[in-house]
Amino acid sequence: MDIYLPIAEVSVNAVLLVGLGAAVGFISGLFGIGGGFLMTPVLVFMGIPPAVAVASEANHVAASSMSSVISYGRRRAVDIRMGGVLAAGGALGSFVGVEVFRWLRLLGQADLVVAVSYFLFLGVIGALMLTESIAALLRRRRGEPPKRRGDRRPPWLYGLPLKMRFPRSRLYISVIPPIVLGLGVGVLSAIMGVGGGFILVPAMIYLLRMPAPVVVGTSLFQIIITTSLTSVLQAGRNQTVDIVLSTLLLAGGVLGAQFGAKISSRFRAEELRVLLGLIVFLVGLRMGFGLFVTPQEPFVLMSGAR
Amino acid sequence: MAMDLPPPAPPAPAAVAAALTETHVRVTSSFRGARIVLYGAVFDPAARPSDVVVIVRGPDQPVRVARKTPVAGVWINSRPVVFEGAPGFYMAASNRPLTDIARFATLRRLGAGVDHLAINAPAEQRVETRYGVRDMVVSRLGADYLDWRRAVVRLKSRAGLYAADERGVRFVDGGLFRAEIALPAGAPTGIYQARVILFQEGRPVADRVRTLTVEKAGVERGLYLMAHDRPWSYGLASVALALGAGWAASVAFRRS
Repeated sequence: MDIYLPIAEVSVNAVLLVGLGAAVGFISGLFGIGGGFLMTPVLVFMGIPPAVAVASEANHVAASSMSSVISYGRRRAVDIRMGGVLAAGGALGSFVGVEVFRWLRLLGQADLVVAVSYFLFLGVIGALMLTESIAALLRRRRGEPPKRRGDRRPPWLYGLPLKMRFPRSRLYISVIPPIVLGLGVGVLSAIMGVGGGFILVPAMIYLLRMPAPVVVGTSLFQIIITTSLTSVLQAGRNQTVDIVLSTLLLAGGVLGAQFGAKISSRFRAEELRVLLGLIVFLVGLRMGFGLFVTPQEPFVLMSGAR
Repeated sequence: MAMDLPPPAPPAPAAVAAALTETHVRVTSSFRGARIVLYGAVFDPAARPSDVVVIVRGPDQPVRVARKTPVAGVWINSRPVVFEGAPGFYMAASNRPLTDIARFATLRRLGAGVDHLAINAPAEQRVETRYGVRDMVVSRLGADYLDWRRAVVRLKSRAGLYAADERGVRFVDGGLFRAEIALPAGAPTGIYQARVILFQEGRPVADRVRTLTVEKAGVERGLYLMAHDRPWSYGLASVALALGAGWAASVAFRRS
């Protein structure tokens, strides 16, 4: 059953889109991530213009994060204050990101920047996740105790001004690092159409040293605010949000996410991380592939000739 | 459409009539492209050998094209070049190869055939005096200019937006002929003009223009208009829908 997307102006198979939404939703529920980094490339490969894919995907990420944040909220696993500070940075970042993206689109470099960002971020983070989780898995196989996390927080975290108390995270730190972190993630959400959980979660654990139980819930909370704002801005400034596309994706996505979250308890954390690292790494490589291979068609039509 | 037709040869002028099976194409959510049949007839009391060329042009859309160039091993898009005057849809169909029907200059003047489309990149051109000749159009794209122009046609053809079919017009019985217009799902919306030109002895002797409207309809039209006329409300509505759906799903799954 084909359906014509009013903004993307292409005809796609609706069943396939709902199925993809469900599959990515399942993965995102399984790993506790937004899934935007998987969905955007898939949409681009399906022939949807990257600008539309990125903007509509931000909308879809907002929906799937909303569907999972509520259960974290009930378990009191969301640090609303920290989430708010991150989101303040995220809001600024998404303003900047949407304007940068608009400028890149006019220059005709938007597709290239999407590919490069995917290649760099996913390639590096995937490789790190993969090595780290395989090492942890091997240690467990050999029966060694898990490596202890260093408790010493980086000193620069305490030297900065504008300190604030975060009772839920048991932290008293400057607001500058979380704002900068949120800003970076906000820019990424506009340029890559991702929530940014794959950067936020490790950064919150290793940089801000937040307690693990509140990390995922707080990151989801900030992602909802940032991606909602990004998607309003993309619609307002670039007119690239396709509501039919995002609705089809989230119809499958919210169901898949709930199912994935239920299954996730059956797997070990390390095994899940190896798998996730592998997926992230491969997606990064695939997106970067076109950058290094001599193209068969050296010319490209640019979308949006305005 | 104004056209300086040469005076028709005596004894009696030949004429051509044509009509489309559909004059309105509605782009709805189930739109997957459309096939429209153009049929017509040649009236010529003298029964001279006739050729028919059908040219369909969609609304003009400037085209931006970039070329990938390797920079330090990475393929990077060059600065995009804008081509003006390119139709969003173009189809040329004829009953035999265009080059057999008329001379190059005639085809060029009529814009018949993808090779004769009047598309160029004005921003990349300037007028200057060269070799003592004034007002020469010089392209900054240099000798590559034809490569760029060919690329536009090739990319558009691949998307099903440009087509040339030298057997696209079929005479079915006597002077009756038919041609098919295949609109892909990505065809731009707007007014299309289908021009039927009758050639005799290499000269255009009669023509007929029919218009075709491609427009978004129903829900698609509403959404498209809202996204462009009230983008901020559209954005807020789409976010509200997304957050509402996410919340509803989590409530529904909690109950079950």
